[in-house]
Amino acid sequence: MIPYDADAFFALFAAYNTAIWPAQPAAYALGLLVLVAMFRRFVQRDRLAAAALVVMWAFNAVAYHWTYFATINFLAPVFAAAFAAQALLLAWSGVGRGRLHFAWRGDPAGWIGLTLMLFALVGYPAWTWYAGHRWPDLPMFGIAPGPTTIFTLGALLAGRATWPLFVIPLLWCAVGGSAAWLLDVPQDLSLPAAAAVTLIAIAVRRH
Amino acid sequence: MSCEKILPTRRAVLAGLGALAVPLPAGAAIGPHLRPIPATGERVPAIGMGTWITFNVGDDAGLRAARTEVLQAFFDLGGQVVDSSPMYGSAQAVIGHALARVSAPERLFSATKVWTPLAMLGDGQMADARDLWGIPRFDLMQVHNLLNWDGHLPTILAEKAAGRVRYVGVTTSHGRRHDELEQVMARQPLDAVQLTYNVVDRQAEARLLPLAAERGLMVVINRPFKRGALFDSYARHPLPSWAAEIGCANWAQVFLKFIISHPAVTVAIPATSRVDHMAENMGALHGPLPDQALRVRMARDIAAL
Repeated sequence: MIPYDADAFFALFAAYNTAIWPAQPAAYALGLLVLVAMFRRFVQRDRLAAAALVVMWAFNAVAYHWTYFATINFLAPVFAAAFAAQALLLAWSGVGRGRLHFAWRGDPAGWIGLTLMLFALVGYPAWTWYAGHRWPDLPMFGIAPGPTTIFTLGALLAGRATWPLFVIPLLWCAVGGSAAWLLDVPQDLSLPAAAAVTLIAIAVRRH
Repeated sequence: MSCEKILPTRRAVLAGLGALAVPLPAGAAIGPHLRPIPATGERVPAIGMGTWITFNVGDDAGLRAARTEVLQAFFDLGGQVVDSSPMYGSAQAVIGHALARVSAPERLFSATKVWTPLAMLGDGQMADARDLWGIPRFDLMQVHNLLNWDGHLPTILAEKAAGRVRYVGVTTSHGRRHDELEQVMARQPLDAVQLTYNVVDRQAEARLLPLAAERGLMVVINRPFKRGALFDSYARHPLPSWAAEIGCANWAQVFLKFIISHPAVTVAIPATSRVDHMAENMGALHGPLPDQALRVRMARDIAAL
């Protein structure tokens, strides 16, 4: 039951992107920080990379869900709470306790994670472009829930993370993925696909 | 927005309808079909307008302008009843935006809902709705999907006593909670009820529509096209031969005439974001309506397609 159509959805993104500029390049900078943290040692790299994810989830909670999405979707405050909860979990586990590690492991799950991260940074926006959308009505990395979720699943897989950190991103894959069918937004098919490969990768790593 | 480039404008559609100069079917001069609201005898056109999804377009100027054209076409073609809800995101704000820009907004028969689990928030929600629509009172205030109906009805009845609401109602959709709706209809001081009824969802015929007639309730019909599913299922088929007998030029008019020909129904509220579809819908206000024998045949033939 989605109370808006695709025209309203992408019009919302146009207004959102215009209003938050230059948050988009800043989000890409945070994403690159996480990628660099996987392959290079630097002071507090795990905590800084975790903080980058915290900023993205908190921004999605407040700026996207609470401020913009809530104007067309009565469930958006619930989504804002979920994204804020994920930001708090990442902050508590990764920044506060230092239990989130991003060092590259090079195992199959790590490769899957890296692929998801690169897809979120490049593939998802490119797919949206291919589907016919142009700036400013593009769900972008780091400031839109879909690519942010896929990137986070990839980062958690590529490094070491405890299972509670996967729960909300996996749930969002189900919620956000429904748009693929209900709004005919094909790039959001990547959300359930990302959830599936993440679960497979977790299972493979445990064996 | 792109839709403005693709979809025809109200002016183009209305001019096109005239330019076609198609001979009207026999009986097309009949109408517009008006229905009395039992509580007062006030008559309203039997085709209204819903706003679920279609008017929830946020702040986008292009989409708001397109919806203003839709509302203007609705009024131009004889419509009055516009229904919305706080649940529909920005729809009420978009209605208010459009009402401030259309001609003849005084035609409006305003219908909205209270939608909150907390009775103490009902007053504020109704005040917000008046601000959003830009009107001093609502013609019809309903409890949305029976959500805390026993908490909200006293508040809405107080609003009616204060002159800020004219009629009081409750709603359901998807054909759900009919047993509870029946109890509320039978026992509460309502003026109106809103429920789902269409040519394939006919459960309401058994008890709810007869009860509404017995209790003297205005009946508002939502989901007349089953959220578009009726077009998905049947629009590929040619119109049945009886469609011409009741002046129907398209499937929308077939579906709507089936609904408004039920003697207990006051108004059906199809939603659309397109002026050309609005013109099709409003065509159902005119021409002959099916009698009971033909209604039975319509339901049977459509089910067989």
